[in-house]
Amino acid sequence: MATLAEIREFLPNSDCGQCGLTCAEFAEFLQRHELAPEDCPVLHELDYAGFIEALREVLGEPQTKPAAGMAVDPKKCIGCGICVTLCEYHLGNCADVRLSKGPRDLEQVIFHIVNGLVVVVHQEHCTRLVQAAEKCSKCAQHCPTKAITLY
Amino acid sequence: MRIPLEARIESAVCPGCACLCDDIDVTVVDGRVYQAANICLWGASKVLGHKRFHPKKERRRLAQPLIRHRGRWQTVSVDAAIDRTAEILIKARQPVVYGLTNAGCGAQAAALQVARQAQARLEPADLAWKAPYYQSLKKYGVFWATLEVIRDEADTLVFWGANPLHSCPRHVVRYSIFARGRFTERGYDERRLAAVDIHRTELADLVELFLQVEPGQELSLLQEVLTATAAAGGAVSKKARRLAAMLQEAHYGVIFFGRGVSYGPTPELLDGLAGLTARLNEHTPFVLFPLSTDFNAVGLYHLLLRELGSPLAPDFGAGEVSFHAEPLRWTDVDALLVVGADPFWFLSAAEIQDLHERRVPVVALSPVANRTTGHAEVVLPVALAGVETPELAYRMDGLPLSLPALLPASLPSDQQLLQQLAAALGCSHRGMACV
Ligand code: SF4
Ligand code: SF4
Ligand code: SF4
Ligand code: SF4
Repeated sequence: MATLAEIREFLPNSDCGQCGLTCAEFAEFLQRHELAPEDCPVLHELDYAGFIEALREVLGEPQTKPAAGMAVDPKKCIGCGICVTLCEYHLGNCADVRLSKGPRDLEQVIFHIVNGLVVVVHQEHCTRLVQAAEKCSKCAQHCPTKAITLY
Repeated sequence: MRIPLEARIESAVCPGCACLCDDIDVTVVDGRVYQAANICLWGASKVLGHKRFHPKKERRRLAQPLIRHRGRWQTVSVDAAIDRTAEILIKARQPVVYGLTNAGCGAQAAALQVARQAQARLEPADLAWKAPYYQSLKKYGVFWATLEVIRDEADTLVFWGANPLHSCPRHVVRYSIFARGRFTERGYDERRLAAVDIHRTELADLVELFLQVEPGQELSLLQEVLTATAAAGGAVSKKARRLAAMLQEAHYGVIFFGRGVSYGPTPELLDGLAGLTARLNEHTPFVLFPLSTDFNAVGLYHLLLRELGSPLAPDFGAGEVSFHAEPLRWTDVDALLVVGADPFWFLSAAEIQDLHERRVPVVALSPVANRTTGHAEVVLPVALAGVETPELAYRMDGLPLSLPALLPASLPSDQQLLQQLAAALGCSHRGMACV
């Protein structure tokens, strides 16, 4: 596995915060394969041409694929937002959702509604994936159109 | 290289339905909505309105006023189309201004002016189930609350002939089934829910008690519930007893009713629902709430009440204004001006054929091509209210909200055109030339 120092060699290390983290934290996420090099917007700038590819090489392939996850069928979803409002993780981490509103764009949510359809953005926060013992399936269970599949 | 102009509008109001959700974050790029966050599919199809984003919701926008001449469409100027419309309305004996539930307050006021000038009947698109509701208010009094109060306090909800997931999808999240509020912090987990419908709807999986009734059996179910809530005995089915028990155990209850009641004997159903609400109110707060669909249906009734003192359909035909609670008979109409509605979508084939045979001229003001524009003699394209032109609209609970324009408009608003039409009618009635 790549060391944090190796990874940080190819990060901007400017702590600009655009990824919502510091560069050191970002490196840890990269190491665990929970974020990808492309998730750092700064690395897309011309000055850093080639860094993303270099990081991919340093990081190698993830050891194990996530055993569980979720899929949304865009043909079924009507964007009602029931999944967003019921999600266990959102309830603890997003004030807007607790108030029965939609979350703001930049909030760290598992999914939000864009242009009338649900979009999964941070699946890794799902309590099913974080704590294996957790049996939450509220989003899929209450989706009125059965658009969500948990696997 | 041209740099795209980008603008971000936070907490915009969605004109998709009478929920008027106010938490929509919109990104506009180059005069088009590029992204709208938190909006449901209904709202998205209105705000985005393009095939590109939603292949399943393609909507053809209209660009030019059209007049049908010997069966063929001709592109004309706005003024020519307005003149032709004025001519049609003046010639008619029983003209009707129809729809308006999907139009802003400005357009509704202008349409009322048109109806007055043209001595026409003004028919709200949802009169069939709203008129009996307002009549029941007269008899039993008002049981009403804002959506916020309902969200904060209601612990028991009944949906009668209403499916919010089809008429106003985010209602369930923001104000009813799943909403969390001040005294309802656990939301869905601590609410008791029931639904009555003639079809099995999505609500069936979400509510504790789903009563599917045969068409025409709603009234007898309602009467059984009334019997069960009264102290006096009587034959009551198990279904009705369960629903009655749930209602009586409530601390704060709401009966939402929707378009579904218009299939039954609507006045009797509304009388029963209002009577039930009144009886339940003797013990605990209960609200009877019409689940309006179109984004400004409520604004129209506010206008009628304010201007004419009656929520019923006004008819300016007989010299003085008369009011109708019964929906119009299409066979009586001899000219039709449609604004903010698409009646040809639900008219029966026989009714459409009758309108054709009698050559009833139809004028349609619409932002998009729909069935009514397809049958029209004059088509006047308008800007999208609340998206391309600013408008005022009343949320389903009567809260007025202002909808600023998100995009520039290339077409006139329906309000402008109706004002122009009212002016044209006023001039011709006085036999003067227009200035
Ligand atoms: S966006 Fe990139 S440069 Fe900025 S803090 Fe995150 S990792 Fe560092
Ligand atoms: S609950 Fe289902 S239909 Fe509603 S937004 Fe989520 S995935 Fe879409
Ligand atoms: S399964 Fe995961 S995504 Fe779904 S509600 Fe639970 S925590 Fe949220
Ligand atoms: S529920 Fe109605 S107002 Fe809310 S986003 Fe959907 S269409 Fe728009």
